[in-house]
Amino acid sequence: MKRIIFSFLLIFAISGFTSVNAQCGEELLKQALKEMGDGQYIKDFKVDLKKENKDASVGYVRFSIILNSRSHYMFNVVNGSSNTENVILQLKDGDKLLATNFSKGKLYDKCQVIIGKTKVYNLEFSFKGGVEGCASAVLSLVKQYTAEEMAAQ
Amino acid sequence: MLKRISFMLFIAAGLQLLSGCSGCNQNQGSDDLKMPDSLANDAPLQLSEELIGDVVQNISSPVEMAALIKSTGVEFSQRILNNPDRVTDYNTSFKRALNLGVYSADLGYINMFDKSSIVINYLLAVKNMADGIKVGQFFDFTALKRLAQNSSNLDSLMEISVSSMNKMDSYLREQKRSNVSSLIVAGAWIEGLYIASNVVEQTHNRELTDRILEQKDIVDILLIILNNFSSDEKFANLAEKMSALKDAYLNVKITTEVGEPKSMEKDGMLIIVQDEISHIEASPETLQSIINEIKEIRKTIVE
Repeated sequence: MKRIIFSFLLIFAISGFTSVNAQCGEELLKQALKEMGDGQYIKDFKVDLKKENKDASVGYVRFSIILNSRSHYMFNVVNGSSNTENVILQLKDGDKLLATNFSKGKLYDKCQVIIGKTKVYNLEFSFKGGVEGCASAVLSLVKQYTAEEMAAQ
Repeated sequence: MLKRISFMLFIAAGLQLLSGCSGCNQNQGSDDLKMPDSLANDAPLQLSEELIGDVVQNISSPVEMAALIKSTGVEFSQRILNNPDRVTDYNTSFKRALNLGVYSADLGYINMFDKSSIVINYLLAVKNMADGIKVGQFFDFTALKRLAQNSSNLDSLMEISVSSMNKMDSYLREQKRSNVSSLIVAGAWIEGLYIASNVVEQTHNRELTDRILEQKDIVDILLIILNNFSSDEKFANLAEKMSALKDAYLNVKITTEVGEPKSMEKDGMLIIVQDEISHIEASPETLQSIINEIKEIRKTIVE
């Protein structure tokens, strides 16, 4: 009897293990691409933050990206279905926050930015309260402006 | 008791197998993916693999350049692109990696102009080069070919091919083959600039001219990376040519105007407008000198 219970628990653990992976894998990216809209896909970012030990805070993951001047970009995010908190995206120029999907206490699944200077920017992903979680984000190009159009923005 | 231990061992092995498989799509048999020739780099590096990977990731996508070219209204020209029949000439990993970048930039340009009639030839060239450096597993050629046969699928084709390139780049970095990814990125970057240069010579389009001139900082980044592998003679030669391009960029002046940060709402979505705008100045002679160097490097890569 014990053995049956043990086997049952084991199967349960294995199925849990594999489904967690599915929630954080390629399916998330497919969903993010589907929700990208009409923009031109540029790059995707995989976020998978895990605690090193029980009491630790997870922190954030940072990517550096070049964004071009006179370009209108959109970031859209999709959260893993087992996340307890949704992902927070922050686009920074050095330490200066340029754009985020977290504004006035509300989290959005998209954020857009019009860039005026070609340079390396930092893209950071974290979860509120430093909890664990996974997400997929897609960077897409919405529009490229002329110098005149840019000046009029 | 023995049965129970055997059962536990069996289970442990099963779990091990599962956890090993969780990254199967990224880490297939690393032993048979070693470079067949000079791109198996053993020389000590000044920059870490991680840092190089981070920097390589920075180089912007050729898709953006292709989109900008299309926006100029210029007609598509196949003559500018590298000939896909040349694949058989590229018989070293060094050449294959560089031209994988070149053909991928060409593919971006072709897709942007919806030229479904030639897209398969370029997909084949990309696949051929990728197989040659043992990263062909990231291109599902059958699926890509199926998409390419219908012009209404070109957006999906573009998405899948860009995504495949991104996965391949991540894989190469994981495998500590950043020398290979830096060549792919350098090839794609030069080809994007080469196509843009040809269009600028025809149209004198300001946006495209500025995009070429804005690459001043990127040349520095690429040069640092290539110099990192300069114990290999082929890398050293390419770095030397890139150094001449860097010199051509010296007279490009980029200034930044800082304004007020702005935000606007469109279709219920908040759009942030950066408070910095760059201004670029360069004489026609400086631009021509940059274009000449780009053409020179491109010639070295494709011939």
